[in-house]
Amino acid sequence: MSGLFGSLSIALSGLSVSQQEMATTSNNVANASTPGYTREVTDIAAGDPIELGSLSLGTGVVLQKIESLRDPILQIQMNQATQQNSAFDASQTQMQQIQTQFASSTSGIGADISNFFNSLQQLSPDPSSLTLRQGVLTAANTMATDFNTAASSLQTQRSNIDLSVAQSVSQVNSLTAQIAGVDQQISALQSTNQAPGTLVDTQNNLILQLSGLIDVQVIPTDQGITLATSNGTALVSGSQSFALTTQETGGVQHIMAGAQDITSSLTGGSLAGLIQIRDQEIPSISGSLDQLAAGLANNLNAANAEGTDLENPPQPGGNIFATPKAGGVGAAATMTVTMTDPSLIAASSDGTTGSNGNLANLSAVATQPLGNEQTQTPIDFYSNLVSQVGSSTANTSADADSSSLILQQLQDENGSISGVSLNEEAANLIQYQTAYQAAAHVVSTVNLLLLDAVNLGMDEAES
Amino acid sequence: MPDLLAALNQTQLEEQQAELQISTGKSVNVPSDNPVAAALLVENNDQATFTSGYLQSVSVVQDQLATASSTLGSITSALQQALSLGVEAGGGTLAASDLAGIANQLQGIQSQLVSLANTAYQGNYVFAGTKTSTAPFVVDAAAPDGSGVIYVGNADVNDVSIGSGYKIAVNVPGSQLFLAPGNSVFLAINNLIQAVQTNTGIGTAVNAVSAASSYLSAETVFYGNATDQTQSQTTYLNAAKLQISQQQNTLGAVDMAAAASNLTQAQTDSQAALAAIGKLSQNNLFDYLT
Repeated sequence: MSGLFGSLSIALSGLSVSQQEMATTSNNVANASTPGYTREVTDIAAGDPIELGSLSLGTGVVLQKIESLRDPILQIQMNQATQQNSAFDASQTQMQQIQTQFASSTSGIGADISNFFNSLQQLSPDPSSLTLRQGVLTAANTMATDFNTAASSLQTQRSNIDLSVAQSVSQVNSLTAQIAGVDQQISALQSTNQAPGTLVDTQNNLILQLSGLIDVQVIPTDQGITLATSNGTALVSGSQSFALTTQETGGVQHIMAGAQDITSSLTGGSLAGLIQIRDQEIPSISGSLDQLAAGLANNLNAANAEGTDLENPPQPGGNIFATPKAGGVGAAATMTVTMTDPSLIAASSDGTTGSNGNLANLSAVATQPLGNEQTQTPIDFYSNLVSQVGSSTANTSADADSSSLILQQLQDENGSISGVSLNEEAANLIQYQTAYQAAAHVVSTVNLLLLDAVNLGMDEAES
Repeated sequence: MPDLLAALNQTQLEEQQAELQISTGKSVNVPSDNPVAAALLVENNDQATFTSGYLQSVSVVQDQLATASSTLGSITSALQQALSLGVEAGGGTLAASDLAGIANQLQGIQSQLVSLANTAYQGNYVFAGTKTSTAPFVVDAAAPDGSGVIYVGNADVNDVSIGSGYKIAVNVPGSQLFLAPGNSVFLAINNLIQAVQTNTGIGTAVNAVSAASSYLSAETVFYGNATDQTQSQTTYLNAAKLQISQQQNTLGAVDMAAAASNLTQAQTDSQAALAAIGKLSQNNLFDYLT
């Protein structure tokens, strides 16, 4: 391989490698802002030398491979951090919405309860006053209406979350199908010993998007990757994806993997956050409102029954509120003031219209345990609920903030490894350009020398 | 760049939070701002509502007590007048026609007493026990106890809460005031009229009226005491109201100076982040390649 042609061949290898290097740089620069793109570097090596006696002659340069710079561990960490952050973010958004119902201390259910018992207090010095009695019924109606509104807002929010869950599941299915599709392409390339290159980036980016929705673990296998939720439900196996389905159970969409209900076993992604609010937080808050509404209605009805009304002859007090269902299920949503005639409030304890004796029993409901295993007074029970909702929201916000910081940090780290640095690419470009120019110079020199060699005989013939 | 954007988002959130606090004047705008304070504010509003409510009740009760009290004052004056007339009649120097005139005057006082005992405040008879819808004293010459009136009210008493766990009785039944066995005002007056009409035992009858009048004065003390209680309770409730409102401020009102300083800080931070993003070098080596 020595000789001028040998030199030409070596110079050509230099030209070719420099071109490929410049192509790699161009691709990096072009994809500098492509999401999920990891920068590629060329791996070049000197060609195998030729041994000529004691001489070892080089044969130029070879491009061995083009490699994407990525850190698989970091990818896994980013997926996990995304799953956590998305779950907390989803919960946080919902909790922020829930807590607005409990935001005011001077209006809403808490203030309604205070105002209702105050209306009884106002009736006490003048128990036969129809105006003051009407005040009691009006306060009772306001209270019932606010219970209804709060319960129905929570229910509406729950239905909206349920819709989001169903939408997220179809997004999950679309993503897993895409991931499986890309995996098939990667396998095809790998089977012919070709580097999958940017296809892996595409796949990783899809997995990251999937992590935003659901907890997913990546298990690399010989037949491509396997994706499974943390409880082991397979989503993708190589080039095959397994669609999740939804099925209505107990009024909400449950997530099914085949026949298995995986709803409550999801631990990450926005789905986990949404389900946590839909199946835990909202039912718990609604349940508390139900207990409060049922306790108030039952206790006030019972207290009213102990006295007599303004009718002639006086009658034992009837129900102020519709009787809640046993156990109080749905009591807040259905709380209704059935008493429409203010003279039916049983203020009297001795059968006369001027007695206020039974108002003490009605007022005492404010300071007595709510009943049904609740030992707190109505207002204490409510203020405790406010504190619970507030703490829950504050905790979710803090979790969302800290998980977002972790994610940010991992993204920065990943950017420094896999991100495209334009400065570095420019420097490389200068280097490759110079190398190309040098190699081209060698070609042109060899060319001149070859011309000389070819003309050598001609000159002699002429002379 | 992503770090700067995150920082910008964060400072803008802080800016919004400070603006919200300043515009609402509240440091707790949603429960998550301070869950414990949010819960305490519910309790605080409950106390504020009840304190205002008690003050309103106290004011109504005071009006009721004042009506009863001034009525009793009029009754006492009428009894004093009856006493003077009785003493005059018992002097033994008056002619029969004069005695008949005094008896007439005494009958007038008796009617006045019945009318006063049937005093109503806003449609409710104040001396009827809890049977406030009907006039409690009905004139009946054949009344079994000889008092000339029959009591159709009852002996019940209403209690009104004027504070948390603080109840006071707000009425004394008319039977206890005017028909108390041994100190019956109406019996004493009726007996005096008959004594003057028959000119017999006037002295004894006058003494009975005097005793009934003293008894009634003693009973009147109840209204004085109750009024005193409501007055001191008003003072207490007003102080409590102030304290509750201060507590509300401590719990939920924004520290304007701190909030304004936070706002300035957040604005400065936000400006700094914006400036940093704006000045972030968009140059790279490519710009210098020719």
